[in-house]
Amino acid sequence: PVVQPGTGNNIIVNPCQRLNPVLEHIRNVGKEFGDIVPDFQVGRTTGVLFLSLKYHRLHPEYIHTRIERLGHSYNLRILLLMCDVSEHQDPIRELTKVCLINNITIIVAWSPEEAGAYLATYKQFEHRPPDMIKERVEKDHLSLLRTALTSISKVNKTDVETLRTSIGSFADIARASSTQLQALPGFGQVKVRRMKDAFERPFRNSA
Amino acid sequence: MLPLLPFHKSILERIHDPATSDFVLLARGLGLRRIVCTLMKIYDSPQTLTLLLNASPEEESAIGEELGVMGCRKPGLRIVGYEMGRKDRQDLYKQGGLISVTSRILVVDMLQSDIPTELITGIIVMHAEKVTPLSLEAFIVRLYREKNKNGFLKAFSDEPEHITSGLSPLRNILKELQLRTVHIYPRFHEEIKQSLERRRADVIEIYPHLTESMKDIHGAIVQCMSTTLAELKRSNTTLDLDDINVENAYFRSFDAIVRKQLDPVWHKVGPKTKQLVSDLATLRRLLMYLLTYDALAFHAYLETIVTSNITGAGGGQRQHQSPWLLTDAANVIFQVAKRRCYTLSRKAPLAPATELDLADDEDAWAALDEVEFGNEGGHSGTTDGSKKKWLPKGMDPVLEELPKWETLAEVLQEIEEEMMRFEGIGLRAVTPGSNTVLIMTSSTRTSNLITEYLESMDTDAPSGQKGRRMMERKLRLYLWWKSKLSDRKQDGKPGFGLPDRVGDRLTDDAADGEVSEALKKKDRERRERQQSRRRVRGGAANAAPSQRRAEKRGADGVVGEKFDSVYGLLAPQQTIVVRAYSDDTDDMMLAEIQPRFIVMFEPNQDFVRRIEVYRSSSPGLGVRVYFMVYRDSSEEHKYLLGLRREKEAFERLIKERGSMLMPILEERRSGSNDAVIKTISSRIAGGRKELNKEPSRVIVDLREFRSSLPSLLHASGLQVIPATLTVGDYILTPDMCVERKSIPDLVSSFNSGRLYTQCELMSVHYKQPILLIEFEEHKSFSLETVSDMKSYVKPTGKYPPKKTANGPNDPDGRSSGPTIQSKLVLLTLSFPRLRIIWSSSPYATTDIFADLKTNNPEPDPSVAVSVGAEDDSEKGAGVNATAEELLRCLPGVTAKNVHFVMGKVGSVRELCELPLERVQEILGVEPGKACYEFMHKGERRR
Repeated sequence: PVVQPGTGNNIIVNPCQRLNPVLEHIRNVGKEFGDIVPDFQVGRTTGVLFLSLKYHRLHPEYIHTRIERLGHSYNLRILLLMCDVSEHQDPIRELTKVCLINNITIIVAWSPEEAGAYLATYKQFEHRPPDMIKERVEKDHLSLLRTALTSISKVNKTDVETLRTSIGSFADIARASSTQLQALPGFGQVKVRRMKDAFERPFRNSA
Repeated sequence: MLPLLPFHKSILERIHDPATSDFVLLARGLGLRRIVCTLMKIYDSPQTLTLLLNASPEEESAIGEELGVMGCRKPGLRIVGYEMGRKDRQDLYKQGGLISVTSRILVVDMLQSDIPTELITGIIVMHAEKVTPLSLEAFIVRLYREKNKNGFLKAFSDEPEHITSGLSPLRNILKELQLRTVHIYPRFHEEIKQSLERRRADVIEIYPHLTESMKDIHGAIVQCMSTTLAELKRSNTTLDLDDINVENAYFRSFDAIVRKQLDPVWHKVGPKTKQLVSDLATLRRLLMYLLTYDALAFHAYLETIVTSNITGAGGGQRQHQSPWLLTDAANVIFQVAKRRCYTLSRKAPLAPATELDLADDEDAWAALDEVEFGNEGGHSGTTDGSKKKWLPKGMDPVLEELPKWETLAEVLQEIEEEMMRFEGIGLRAVTPGSNTVLIMTSSTRTSNLITEYLESMDTDAPSGQKGRRMMERKLRLYLWWKSKLSDRKQDGKPGFGLPDRVGDRLTDDAADGEVSEALKKKDRERRERQQSRRRVRGGAANAAPSQRRAEKRGADGVVGEKFDSVYGLLAPQQTIVVRAYSDDTDDMMLAEIQPRFIVMFEPNQDFVRRIEVYRSSSPGLGVRVYFMVYRDSSEEHKYLLGLRREKEAFERLIKERGSMLMPILEERRSGSNDAVIKTISSRIAGGRKELNKEPSRVIVDLREFRSSLPSLLHASGLQVIPATLTVGDYILTPDMCVERKSIPDLVSSFNSGRLYTQCELMSVHYKQPILLIEFEEHKSFSLETVSDMKSYVKPTGKYPPKKTANGPNDPDGRSSGPTIQSKLVLLTLSFPRLRIIWSSSPYATTDIFADLKTNNPEPDPSVAVSVGAEDDSEKGAGVNATAEELLRCLPGVTAKNVHFVMGKVGSVRELCELPLERVQEILGVEPGKACYEFMHKGERRR
């Protein structure tokens, strides 16, 4: 009988992870031990298996038994991989394949601190809407202008400032002639050509 | 056309045979283009198909033109760009002849068999120094050699300094291009020496001194550089930064050196180090501008640097200030730069004075125009009063001029006397060449400045004051710009903008800016005529003629007038051509102008050689060269160091050629080989009977051909099928769709929110959406950065649940905002089905892909293309990636509607011209309004 322990505000840790150095790096959220199948339960539907590549090298069969035990439980299944060996290519390739078949997502961490941070973040973000990584609209004019113009290669912050103060609005910049641009301090032929490419050449060929 | 020199001929003799493939490395300035063009002319015929690869757009057009001059006109060199449709390209390839094509298009065409690879006569590769195992050219050569063993491949390069990668750089290039012969021709090659040193050019070297204040600034900048370097070394103690010294920092390639050193740990270095590296670039630029910009422009540039440094991205205070800005040396730079322009005698506040200036804004401009035309009318006396009424109270203009300007004036004087002397003796009749004086400068900007200076020069003024009139005009523009700037600031308008008319004025294009539209047009016409008359090719806008004649020096003021009235009918000895150095096009220009007097305003090693070639190939021509370098300046250092670097590079390569093991070119049988291996693979469980005859294939988005992965996938034996995909970058199996992100990509697409949308789309259309996070070879395989970890721990520790409040709304707020790790967490929480592949390099990715594909069915290209593509009417068309990127950054434009917008509007500029209603029609009411307001904010009222 699987006990579903905890009230939901703590990360539930499988007792077999008791000596894991990652534990002390889980900050800002509570921890409690409980009888669970994965190593960590960081949300109602999120289970995490932990694997250090060093350990994997010594006991390659271990992770397979753990995955098997996990079965089909949990909606989001994560393999937290600690990359602590220098020959990581082969094991990662092999694990990638295994995880793909078993519907597990791999997260790679390079230090116990980072691994702890991941675990803590999973718990904290459990009910967080994905606004942070969605497209945003609200921003002030200046930073918008900066992001837009610096998306053209070779154009830097100073250039944006120069353009803004000496030419004006975005539309004016789009309209500015090559000679006009080239006369600005810091604008060479290459940069001006890049800008012209971006502003004036058509998006698509009309063939 | 100049005749070929003996060494050109011997190079051609060695490489012209279409049965052999060679790599030619020639010192810059010795006429590589001429050799390439002659070679292409030999191969030109409708029965052949010769491709020109890796040429920049300018080179393409210049080579086309030169070929035209040499007599291969119909059809000459055809250029394939992204604008050309697939069908047209197929037809073009069938016609044969000479075709220039970009690597990206050629790869796709070869993969799709749009080009008959087995029928290609040969490929000419320019800029072979850029070829690496990961570059597209290597991919092309592999595809080419797979099907075509008999065609030739001629690779050319004139930049030995860049062949430095790895242990045996030359061998790597030869291996990738599958070549075995290499010809190296440095300047000290015996044949070249013999050809060029029969006659030496008459060179006069002039070393003007820097002025005191320039020396001060120069010293201060160098000091800032060394402090910045010291800082850099201190903050990265683990690195071997011996190569990094001030001398090296003069060069543009220095950034590359630093980056190469720091690359393995680039993710780990804090923003401070990044700031230091970019500071070095800024300082290097400053050093260059100090010697080339006039005092006012330099000062204005410094001010822009300061403004852009005190306001951060979010408009608030910036986190990491450039450390050099806070040093004493920086203070010296700013103070002295200001003192070169003007001094404030009393402590008069600038603001009221400028307000005064503002009040009679219109008046001021009227007066200015009057001054301008007054000059031309000849009564320039009005401006000569020592006190100008437009000057703010308490301001004394200093207006220091660059020492070279005056030297130039003296040189021109001397040349004139020389010409007259020649004419006196009657030598003119016997010697070839024209009396046009050619002045070469480092940039178009400098050449504009010199033209302006020469036009408005006042010969009677005391030394150091000759360009006073020009400088005063510039000062006035500067003051006007300043006052506008501060005025806007007081009003609290953050997005102040300068009307473009004034933009023109500020930026020294005064000669043009001042005149009315009509005059401008006339000016343009004049230039055009001038060009057609003297058939100046390429970079025509640079050829700015200015008139000058000894006896009529006094009448300088009437330049424009007189020039207009007689149009291009001036005798050649009365013209001066001011141009900026460019590439091999300069050879053409020299051949056409045939100058006898050349002034090199700034040192340039390539051009010295061009003059040597020019002189040797026109017998009987006496060329005199004036060569100007500031004494004890970075300019001199840079020139000498450049010479040395090239020589060392050549020596290294010659040494390598001597001891090089010839690369073994493995034969690759297409397809069959791998299919067998696949079927007998022991991974497949023994019971399986059916043999998979189909070759393993991957469908790759066209845009992905910019990266190296498709090339490597092909090298590993997979069949690469290019297609325009709406969803995902790579389709491995009918269910597996991969979106590839390099680390910088990952960061930026998290920030823009694009990744979310892409994952959304993938999840909708595919069973197994995969995000591939690809690190770069030789760079650290780690996401972790020290500063990131710290910022993660602190804020969440204080307010665990409330972080949302200032998280998304204020990305630049405290510390560095949410880390990439936490964003990844959020992404996986939002898309539980999303898998992540962590790959340490493109090589690792190919292994992983191959692994994932075993035992899985092959994807169908036609299905993959149609997925999610319903809204995109013009799929399969070439896309202008830069423009798309820019468009995406505009408010109101999202990843979802970007394709729609691109279908509706031609270019970004077109979008800017649309009225509000139309923008709203395209984007919807609210986003349309936002977009429109963004584009037109800060516009001049009209």
